[in-house]
Amino acid sequence: MDITNEQRGDWQIMTVHGRLDAATAPDFDKSFQTIQDVVPLKVALDLAGLEYISSAGLRSILAAGKKAHASSGKIVFAGLAGMVEEVFRVSGFTAMFEFYSSVDEAVAS
Amino acid sequence: MKRTGIAVRLAVLILACSLVILTGIVWYNYVVSRNIIISQDEHTGAGLAQATSARISKVLYAVQKVADSIAYTLEDAEISPKLIDDLGRRVLAGNPEIFGTAIAFEPYSFDPARLYFAPYHYRSQNRIASTNLGSRDYRYFHMDWYQLAKELDKAIWTEPYYDEGGGHALMCTYSVPFYRQVDGKRTFAGVVTADIDLTWLQSMISEVDVYDSGHVFLLSRYGTFISSPNPDLIMNETIFTWAEERGVPELRDVGRAMVQGKSGYRELKDLPGVGDVFLYYMPLPAENWSLAIVFPKDEMLAGVTHLSHTVAIIGLAGFLALAALVIFISGGITRPLRKLTVVANRVASGDLDQKVPEIRTRDEVGELATSFKTMKTSLKEYIANLTTATAERERIESELRIAREIQMGILPKLFPPFPERSEFDVYASIEPAKEVGGDLYDFFFVDDRHFCFLVGDVSGKGVPAAFFMAVTKTLLKVVAERGLDPGPILSKVNADLAAENESCMFVTLFLAIVDIETGETRYANAGHNPPVFLRKGSEPEWVPPLNEPVAGVMEDMEYSTKTMRMEPGDSLFIYTDGVTEAMDGDRNMYSDPRLLELLGTLGAVPAQELVTAVDVSIKAFTGGAEQSDDITMLAMQFHGPLGTNKES
Repeated sequence: MDITNEQRGDWQIMTVHGRLDAATAPDFDKSFQTIQDVVPLKVALDLAGLEYISSAGLRSILAAGKKAHASSGKIVFAGLAGMVEEVFRVSGFTAMFEFYSSVDEAVAS
Repeated sequence: MKRTGIAVRLAVLILACSLVILTGIVWYNYVVSRNIIISQDEHTGAGLAQATSARISKVLYAVQKVADSIAYTLEDAEISPKLIDDLGRRVLAGNPEIFGTAIAFEPYSFDPARLYFAPYHYRSQNRIASTNLGSRDYRYFHMDWYQLAKELDKAIWTEPYYDEGGGHALMCTYSVPFYRQVDGKRTFAGVVTADIDLTWLQSMISEVDVYDSGHVFLLSRYGTFISSPNPDLIMNETIFTWAEERGVPELRDVGRAMVQGKSGYRELKDLPGVGDVFLYYMPLPAENWSLAIVFPKDEMLAGVTHLSHTVAIIGLAGFLALAALVIFISGGITRPLRKLTVVANRVASGDLDQKVPEIRTRDEVGELATSFKTMKTSLKEYIANLTTATAERERIESELRIAREIQMGILPKLFPPFPERSEFDVYASIEPAKEVGGDLYDFFFVDDRHFCFLVGDVSGKGVPAAFFMAVTKTLLKVVAERGLDPGPILSKVNADLAAENESCMFVTLFLAIVDIETGETRYANAGHNPPVFLRKGSEPEWVPPLNEPVAGVMEDMEYSTKTMRMEPGDSLFIYTDGVTEAMDGDRNMYSDPRLLELLGTLGAVPAQELVTAVDVSIKAFTGGAEQSDDITMLAMQFHGPLGTNKES
């Protein structure tokens, strides 16, 4: 897995590539910790390069979402496709979070 | 292979070198000192010969002088028998070296009436005796001592001879002619003699000390032995006959040189009765004699030999001392090594409590011992840590295994669970991954008509997931038995789970309650992957997803309840993502389409057969690749109410 962090305006943009599962979730958590103290925390997760997400990955994302919520910010998602989108949908994440087709769109919201 | 220790090799090498050097020194010492001694003895020998010859010459010269002066006196003295007698006695009394002296007159010259007149004085038994020489048997004027002096008209020394005239001894005689005035003319009147006893000469010469068995001998002008420590030789042998007899040709050369009046030095090998000798010779010109000194080589070199022996003994003692020292030192070096080897072998065989020998030397061996000690201590610590760590890990693993057993134990395992119920058939299986996971399933009657069954999957793995799973299962049963609809059940359970869930764990759940009288099935789904509905006689289809969130995250969440109807023979297949995400060695997933395709080929089979078929298919797909997630499946086939069941 590959994660890059980028700041654009008041948005923190995290781009995730590869697989987000039990083995790589701790890396995601660590990467998220570097930005989690920003208030309000507004995170745009670019998941266009994400190939697979397991329940452990979903949990990391939920935890991130909770943090953002607590700081009166939010976490939004961009570029979901295929199996990952399916998992998000089935897991009911679509009801909890906002989704955009691209990061630009997400940041503009 | 025989092992040769460092100590032995070191000792052998050093001692071999020392031995070679030592032998070299002893040999060189012997050769050089031998040469020095020989060259010194050459001088000594020559000196000794000279001294001896001078001594003999001095004696003989004194004898000559006496005879000369008598002859001179007689020339014009008034001679009377009494005077001659006094003269003879006085001469012998004053000259101990003279054995006898005679004044021999020409026939009839002293007294015209007497043919013989030759008064002779000589020593006999420590007294001076006198006689008159000359008789019918002893016509003295025919003797060599008389004739030679007379004819040669000068003083001569005779060859040694045995005197039968008066002295009866082995002697040499010095003869001097004397003259008297007869008719105004100086006329030969006779011979004055002085004898020396060869025995006396021999005793004088034997006082010359030439080592223990060295000796001096004298040769006459013809090579006859005049003096020799061997009395048999005197007068009986010449050096030439002796050389012939003993087979020593070199001695004849020496004899020739001596007779010719030469002086020199000669080394003679293996002289009979004496061995190797050095021989010095020189002439006594006055008498035409020759003197030789014989040095036995053994005795001459005895000093050198003794010195060499002493050096060799000292060398040997030194060598032994060196050997002892080398063995001691090399032993001292290798002894700690040998001790270390023994300990190292014991340590190698696992005995880490071996005490490393205390080696206090500040050399490489000492360093090695220190390093070895450190290594042993580290090894011991490491093994102790490892043992502790292993024990700890085993304890944790054992506890995890027990946790897993407990976790698995709370899931119903007895099939068929309700053998008295013919309205439906339920079967479930869980294939745990190596690591503790959080899958769960359950089924139970809410009341007589309503049968509840569910499958869930807790996010993550490990003990937290197992706990969360256990809590979820307990909560579900407690809430479901209150008779609520599936939606409210999940809502309630979600609220309970989400409260105080700091770790953001969650669980996906599919829960259905079937009315076994009618087949009406109500269900709710909290983020769980959609089950498959196998309608008898149709293709399998997904139960439409409700897209409602996973449970345990947000407290105030309402889940909806959906309703579907199952006809007799229809089945519902609920599973966790461990099924569709099971991977083969190349990380390909089993996938939804493959599952749907398999289920399509099965038809309306009993619940257990359905689950087993999927299990077999998954195993065939993964081909033994390690399972990363729990694989949980639950199948429920509806048979219809009691009546219909019997009819069919």
